[in-house]
Amino acid sequence: MHAKHLLRFAAVTMMVITLLAACGGPAELADEDMGELVPDLVILSSLPEANLVNYEMAQELADELAQIGVTMDARPTDFSVLLDVLYGEDMDYDAYTIGWSGRVERLDPDMFLHSINHSSNAVAGANNTSRYVNPEFDSLADAQRREMDIEARREIVWQAQRILAEDIPRVTLYSRANVQTYDRTRFSNMVNMSGEGLFNEWSPMVMEPVSNDYTVPIVASNVNITNLNPFAARSVYDWRNLRLIYDKLVRLSPEVQPVPWAATGWQVIDDTTIDVELREGMDFHDGRPVTVDDVVWTYQTWMDLPESYFASFTNPIASVEATDGTTVRFTLHEPYAPFITTTLTQIPILPKHIWENVGDVTQYANENPIGSGPFKFVRFRTGEELVTERFDDYFEPVKVDGYIFKIYASPEGVLTDLELANVDVISYDLIPAHINQIKENDGGRFDHLELTEAQDIGFFYIGMNNNRPPFDHKAFRVAIAHLVDYDYALDVLLDGYGSRGGGGLVINAANEFWHNPEVPIYDTYDPQRAREILADAGFTWDSQGRLRMPRD
Amino acid sequence: MLAYVIKRLLIMLVMLLLVATMIFVMFRTMPGDPTASMVDPSIPREARQALLERYGLHESLWTQYRIFMGDLLRLDFGNSYFYNRTVLRVIGDRLPATLILMLTAMLFAYTIGILWGAWMAWNRGTRLESVGVTFSLVFRSAPTFWVGLMAIMVFSVMLGWFPAQGMRTTGYTGDTFVEVFLNRDFLRHLILPAFVAGLYFLATPLLIMRNSMLEVMSEDYIEMARAKGLRELRILYKHAARNALLPVVTAGALFIGAAIGGQVLIEVVFSWPGLGREIVQAVTRSDYPLAQGIFIIISALVMFMNLVADVLYAFLDPRISYR
Repeated sequence: MHAKHLLRFAAVTMMVITLLAACGGPAELADEDMGELVPDLVILSSLPEANLVNYEMAQELADELAQIGVTMDARPTDFSVLLDVLYGEDMDYDAYTIGWSGRVERLDPDMFLHSINHSSNAVAGANNTSRYVNPEFDSLADAQRREMDIEARREIVWQAQRILAEDIPRVTLYSRANVQTYDRTRFSNMVNMSGEGLFNEWSPMVMEPVSNDYTVPIVASNVNITNLNPFAARSVYDWRNLRLIYDKLVRLSPEVQPVPWAATGWQVIDDTTIDVELREGMDFHDGRPVTVDDVVWTYQTWMDLPESYFASFTNPIASVEATDGTTVRFTLHEPYAPFITTTLTQIPILPKHIWENVGDVTQYANENPIGSGPFKFVRFRTGEELVTERFDDYFEPVKVDGYIFKIYASPEGVLTDLELANVDVISYDLIPAHINQIKENDGGRFDHLELTEAQDIGFFYIGMNNNRPPFDHKAFRVAIAHLVDYDYALDVLLDGYGSRGGGGLVINAANEFWHNPEVPIYDTYDPQRAREILADAGFTWDSQGRLRMPRD
Repeated sequence: MLAYVIKRLLIMLVMLLLVATMIFVMFRTMPGDPTASMVDPSIPREARQALLERYGLHESLWTQYRIFMGDLLRLDFGNSYFYNRTVLRVIGDRLPATLILMLTAMLFAYTIGILWGAWMAWNRGTRLESVGVTFSLVFRSAPTFWVGLMAIMVFSVMLGWFPAQGMRTTGYTGDTFVEVFLNRDFLRHLILPAFVAGLYFLATPLLIMRNSMLEVMSEDYIEMARAKGLRELRILYKHAARNALLPVVTAGALFIGAAIGGQVLIEVVFSWPGLGREIVQAVTRSDYPLAQGIFIIISALVMFMNLVADVLYAFLDPRISYR
């Protein structure tokens, strides 16, 4: 037991004594006159080797609850088993720890507002695993989706965040910081993006070699690429390369604004009709021109695949057609504001002349990807490296001669090669021990490196089944938000590399445009206040100190 | 002899089908299903159902088992869920790297192990013998990843003699097997991991050889050889060691069978793109076809190499015959 626990234990003992002393007066209720006992709870957390922070925080919460008279069993669970439980038909769980990764398309607020909080998704298999239902919130979540004007949409998104901060459907524990590094003696003009880090889609396009002798950056990854077929690629590591080989109509700028890319612009005809102008004179890597037919075929094929990685982005599309030689018209089932910021920025344009002959597109190996992006595929050796070169005919040629995505088996191996200057950019977040080693720079070994930091827009949280006692009581959820030691998570477990969580916080400050800074978030550890909140809401403690639900 | 081999092969086939059944059941009883790692939770739930159907995972276990065994008899291991390639292709991509590393390490360990082990038995009770036993046991017991990290620190970072990671210099080109594997760049990358793995394997042949030599040395024909006045080294390696080799051959044959599985820790420490890491990933991601395929092939190889060892006995020891 460390010192903090001892202190807490002492404080609670004092409190219990005070409480007991207060009992016994004639006004006190007998146990049988109180409400039901708060049921024994189970929190499904992470295996310590999978996510130590979540594992520890679940244990901590169980300890905290024990001290206010609630039994909670923290049960470390394998990730795939946890998903089975959360998305299974039975919806049988009390609480859990899990996270949403901060992928770039999640900068659009739709995912973190609508998908994970709207009541229509509070059913088996959908993303509102907190089973949170609030009609007032639903109407805002629907409205932001329909509002095509970005300023007006932000207004609605801000209101929605206010409701979440009051209702606390889940308690966010922390967000990680993306601390990464690159060799500043070899490359300059790197772009650092929230949720993406250094190997985002811009860095390879704009980075510049410092000298003419070394012009192909080596990007280190600690995860293998599994698939180069866009219809079958399911990992973010595959996509980080595919999006450089294939082009997209619109790309999100480093400031997360949509910029026309393979398109020269778009026109919102009405709420459900959008015309996109294709840039003229673009070629695929095999020399064939990029035409509206390719764009229409690509979108149509994605729309026809129910299990695709982008299904949630293509589902709102009713039809796609070419209206003239350079214009593609999208018709939506209903207004869908994220259409430009997510759908158009995520779907890669594929060459129809290759894909229409391959049979089942999801089963095609695509061993030699032909795209129209800034980088040409050269070769891929599984478990070793993916090699690309500059596509000279690109409308905005890049300044490096290509890049090599080098696959390592462990972060320790990457660190060694960083020290030996065999690696120029890393594409994953450094672990705290390695950050500290690079900072200490013992003997000047890491003199050539520049550390970069970006806040992640993803977050890890304690999920609560809002459909089940005691979490169906708002006061209980608010109390939970006061029982989480946010400082312990951030300062001790994450070594300070991250940002604070808080009750109901889903769009954090790193997502500058959409985050509402005026909403007060419960983000302070205060068990005394938790007790008061429970007492005010009618919760009582019986003669054995067990917490009982309010009487109806 | 031939009849014996055929009988053994038939038994092997039955065993393999049993092993395949066990492997099938084991993976299906493991918690979680493959869609958990395949489908991002943000994807609509219909997507998950569609995937289950695509891979036939919505069928009853019995139906799945029948299809699996049927395909297996036609030597069809199916497609990996993650790689969009056949299982044999995925294994084939990784196997050369694994086998080259493992066989080099084996060559190192067994050559030194056999010669040194025989020599140690011959010089029993000397200080050099206890040094040898201690040396091999230290590297047998030390965690291989730690030995690997130390080797990298000393030979790559401090001395700069060998590259630290991977099996080729980044960006290396080459298409044919010779260009890819039989060149200086590859050999430079091979030495360190093979050396570390070899140190780990050394104790087995060394100690087996030593023990079996001690037995052989008390046999009459050694006495006879001595009486004939043959040179020590000639008795040691020509007469004694040859007969002491039998148990080492068994161990070596089994080693080759298991070698296809690779040495996960060595592969991780040196970022060696071998099959070992692939096996671990296939299991954690519930990539059933890939995991099943790899394990069945490993079992088949172990069984087959066992048979090879038994047959080799007959050649090494004229007293053994098979009927």
